[in-house]
Amino acid sequence: MDKSKASDTLLKVENLTVQFPIKRGSIIGKKKWLRAVDDISFTIKRGETLALVGESGSGKTTAALAAARLVKAHSGSVELNGEDFLALDDETLRTARAKLQFIFQDPYSSLNPRLKAESIVREPLANLNTGSQTNDKKAEHNRIVDELFEAVGLRPEQKKLFPHQFSGGQRQRIGIARALATQPELIICDEPVSALDVAVQAQILNLLRKIQHERNLTYLFISHDLGVVQYMCDSIAVMYLGKIVEYADRLSLFNNPQHPYTAALLSAVPSVDRQRRSKYKRILIPGDTPDALNPPIGCRFSSRCPAAQPICSESEPPLISRTDGHQVACHLVSDTGESPISALI
Amino acid sequence: MGTLLKVENLVIELSTTKGVAPVIDDLSFELQAGQTLSFVGESGCGKSMTALGIMGLLPEKVGRIASGSILFNGEDITKATDDRLREIRGNDISMIFQEPMTSLNPVFSIGEQIAEVLRRHQKLEKAAAWAQAIELLDAVRIPDAKRRASSYPHQLSGGQRQRVMIAMALACEPRILIADEPTTALDVTIQAQIFDLLEDLRAQTGTAIIMITHDMGVVAEIAERMIVMYAGRMVEQGQVDHVLSHPRHPYTKGLIDCVPHLMATLTEQRAELTEISGIVPSLAEFGQDTCLFASRCHLANQQCLQARPTEQHFNEQQLVACWRAGEV
Repeated sequence: MDKSKASDTLLKVENLTVQFPIKRGSIIGKKKWLRAVDDISFTIKRGETLALVGESGSGKTTAALAAARLVKAHSGSVELNGEDFLALDDETLRTARAKLQFIFQDPYSSLNPRLKAESIVREPLANLNTGSQTNDKKAEHNRIVDELFEAVGLRPEQKKLFPHQFSGGQRQRIGIARALATQPELIICDEPVSALDVAVQAQILNLLRKIQHERNLTYLFISHDLGVVQYMCDSIAVMYLGKIVEYADRLSLFNNPQHPYTAALLSAVPSVDRQRRSKYKRILIPGDTPDALNPPIGCRFSSRCPAAQPICSESEPPLISRTDGHQVACHLVSDTGESPISALI
Repeated sequence: MGTLLKVENLVIELSTTKGVAPVIDDLSFELQAGQTLSFVGESGCGKSMTALGIMGLLPEKVGRIASGSILFNGEDITKATDDRLREIRGNDISMIFQEPMTSLNPVFSIGEQIAEVLRRHQKLEKAAAWAQAIELLDAVRIPDAKRRASSYPHQLSGGQRQRVMIAMALACEPRILIADEPTTALDVTIQAQIFDLLEDLRAQTGTAIIMITHDMGVVAEIAERMIVMYAGRMVEQGQVDHVLSHPRHPYTKGLIDCVPHLMATLTEQRAELTEISGIVPSLAEFGQDTCLFASRCHLANQQCLQARPTEQHFNEQQLVACWRAGEV
């Protein structure tokens, strides 16, 4: 692939906010807004992978859905290939969507049980060709389907089978083939391996890396598994209660986590590496994620942060970069990028 | 410290439409008091069946213990009556499950559910049982336990529900706690809290823990001994440190290498993950006189297809069932 193009930006999300109306109490109760995604910005370069990580309810999936216009953004902008994706009208959106595809978490519920594997993979192709299907097109589609089956490691005779006749890993391969059918540039992978057995996870992760390399694909990778994230990604955005709290490249984030939440998250991952276990003491953060309807005032992590100071519950820390491109939203990180947590362990 | 649980040549059979399959095939192990033992393997390898077998909770009419023995404190519980089993369960051996939401009764408050265990097993009066339920909730670090005791399961978060399950399991101070993937449904920071809690409780009460998991990292963090299961058979067993640093069975090695682990220092380098090709065999293939892993094994040869591997001893009780263990 052309490496000179590798540095240009494919997806640029700016100040994206998503909110949902929530009614609490009786029917006449006052309508409240839940900010699932609150003013987040990120960019992904062509051919690279950005991970959105965070725990359940942090807003990572909603952010991706909003970027793909599968949920409505309240404000903000999404640029795909320099084009304002949120402003497209119905018809241009339909064709633009070909450039952006999804791979879902659950390979059991994301495939139509009544379609054969080949029809599932062919469906997006047919959907993008309006008008009647000529024989030429059919032959062309068949060729593409054959090629995709081979690319994802499925055998040709498996085209005629129904989803229930496949194992979980094979179903995920069908999901990947379907996502590749329209020759997308960006694929949003929403927890693509978390429903699979560990041994099968490796097969799918290797496959995703292989086709990324072959087709110069760009991934927005959503996961809660930090081991998988460090293997797959070039940069990482850590989300907590709808906000990005830390955003940095892979080495910088994993080797020098600056936000106390990121540090706690990393330290909580059980590891087989004895050296890592002795190097990082587990930082326990108390309690559960607070109610997203009433997030803490100031820094949203302040209610659970072991390093919190009075200022943390007074004003919200901005997401700023102190050391080369490593962005973090915390009042207490030093100018040299030292985490407040390092004083505690 | 003594041997609390001794399982010998246990065979558990499950009747399927295609015949009878040995889902646990000749399993032997020991559990010492206060020890943490971990079972690892992919889904369908018999980890949970072992737990259900020990608890006497095999699916009725479908599963049965075909042969072997389970000695709890010298008493063979495979021969115990239903009444005796009910006494052992809860009092001596208890269990927590993966999905705390479906394991709790939605129409009773959590305090009542814990108190019921105490009334039934310890014959406590209503008020005393309620008071102790609050103490237990406090012990598993539910904030404001006195008020929360009247909450219903749906009002709690996933992590809190699992704490309630642990409180219930520990109500009668069992000698053995079986935890079947207790944190799989939870976020990683909550998982860390639960492990911390289990570790503290073990230190305080000396309860032995059997931890069933698919995550080698979890094994490394909390267990002393581990047993790797594949297709109903033990393939490797030993001290966690030994097995992780020098796995002797290709399946164990595969399970360790196929996961991208977080290491002490991350580098630019990203080697391709080792794949274990294929999938776990179906129940119909269980019980054959071959190595059941052979079809997925890169070391397999003729011998592996002709006979079931015998168990070989390596240093300090590392036990491996593989014909080619010396070459891994």
